Parts: sequence; structure tokens; C-alpha cells
Amino acid sequence: MAESSVIGSTTVIRGNVRGEGDIEILGRVEGDVIFTGDVTISEDAQVRGRVSGAAISIAGEVVGDVTGTAAVILAATAHVQGDLITPRVGIAEGARVHGSLNTEGSGRTEEGSRGARSREVPRRAAAAVKPAAASASARSAVPASRSASPATPVTGKRKPPPPVVPALRKGARARKKSRG
Amino acid sequence: MAGTIIGTSVTVEGELSSDEEVVVHGTVRGTLSSADAVSVGADGTVDANIKASSLSVAGQVTGNVTAKERVDIQAGGRLIGDVKASRLTIADGASFKGNVDMDV
Repeated sequence: MAESSVIGSTTVIRGNVRGEGDIEILGRVEGDVIFTGDVTISEDAQVRGRVSGAAISIAGEVVGDVTGTAAVILAATAHVQGDLITPRVGIAEGARVHGSLNTEGSGRTEEGSRGARSREVPRRAAAAVKPAAASASARSAVPASRSASPATPVTGKRKPPPPVVPALRKGARARKKSRG
Repeated sequence: MAGTIIGTSVTVEGELSSDEEVVVHGTVRGTLSSADAVSVGADGTVDANIKASSLSVAGQVTGNVTAKERVDIQAGGRLIGDVKASRLTIADGASFKGNVDMDV
């Protein structure tokens, strides 16, 4: 049973804190705080490092990127210097934030500030993979690809992938295929 | 004040210092110092030198211990390292390896 952790108000940790379950920080952490559960940073608490968890509520000070896979909630007393990466965000009036806010995607990346750019690449890669997978399934059974297509989100007309044409030099000779 | 609790399956790597009670159910590596009591639960593991007013060990501690008041090693507890404290109790079933200095 993973009981929740508490970093008391007079406690200072220089180093990383990671683990499962929830954590409440009343004191100071100079290092990364990486949890699977909820992270609560109270008023007067300070974190200098990355903060990562499910739902993250901040009423104190954070200098570093904040990644919440569920949500990031900033109270009026919160002060964050760093990027917020989360699908759901709440910022109370009076909270101070210096950094970018990214509510796209799952927020599961721990990449921090590079999140916006790095997410662009997998999406394009996924689009490139899908037609190939569809054609593979079409070869075996046509209805399979038809039933699969409504499940994918509608992103307008998808063009078929460009034909794969090997670059041939002038005077290149045809080579016999190994498989008849 | 609840003090500081390091939950099970939580790891602290580095320096932990506090003015209040520290309870370790998880893992602490580095150094651990408190002006109040430190207790290491049955599932707790501390690979660190410990400075505290008093220390109670039910889990595993590897490192030197300096306590202002007392050190108690509970049954099932395991302490490897030197102990500097005016009082030391070792329960039946506890294991201990190291030197003891009671001239504090």
C-alpha cells in the first residue's frame, strides 16, 4: 500500500524525489519531483526542478517545467517559472506564470519545453504508417480496412501515399528479382 | 505538524534535512538530518548517514548514525554502520554491525 508522502514545511531536499502515490510538499525541494499520483505544492513551498505527476496543484513557487497527465491547477498564490504541459489547466486570478502553456495531447511527455515540437513528429510518422497498414489489411480483407477507417479521426481527405519509385541513373540496367 | 513522511515506493536521492520529525517508509539515499526524531519503518531503506535527535530503526539502515538522545533498533530492524549516541537499545531479532560510541 503506497501511502502518501509529505515533505514538511521545514524540510529541505537537495536531490530528486520520485515514486508512486501522492505527495504533498510544504517545504523545499531543489531537484525533480516525479510521481505517478497527485502532487500538491502548498503555499510557501518551493520546488526548483521539474514537477511531473497526474493532477498537480500549485499554491507555492515552482521554477521548472510542470507536466500533469491529468491536470495542472494553479492557485492565486502560485508562481511558476517554466512551461505547463497538461491536457487540463486551471489558473486562478493572481497566479503568476512565466512560460508556455501546452494543453495539446495527453501531456504524458516528459520532454518539457520541447513537447510542442516533438509531438509534431510522431503525428506525421503515424500518418505515414497508417496507409501502409491499411493496404496490408486490404490485401487480405477489404471490409477490414473499411471498418477501420471510421474509427480514425476525420482529418479531411487523406491522399494516398506517393508511389515508391526507385531512383534510377541513366543507363541503369534492370535487375532480375530474386523472387520470381 | 505532520512532519515529513517518505511513502513506500518513494525514493529520495540527495540531501534531506529537516527541523521536524522524519518518517521513512520508502528509500532515502544520500544524507538525512533532522533536529527532531527520525524513524525508519519496516519497509524503509536508508543508505545515508543520519543525524537526528533520536532514531528508531525497524527497516534497513546503512550508514553512520549520530543521535543526540537515543537510537533504538527494533525487532526486524537492521543497522550497518557506526552509532554515536548516549543511549542505544537493540531489540531481540534486530541485527547490527558497527561500532558504538556512547561518550556523547
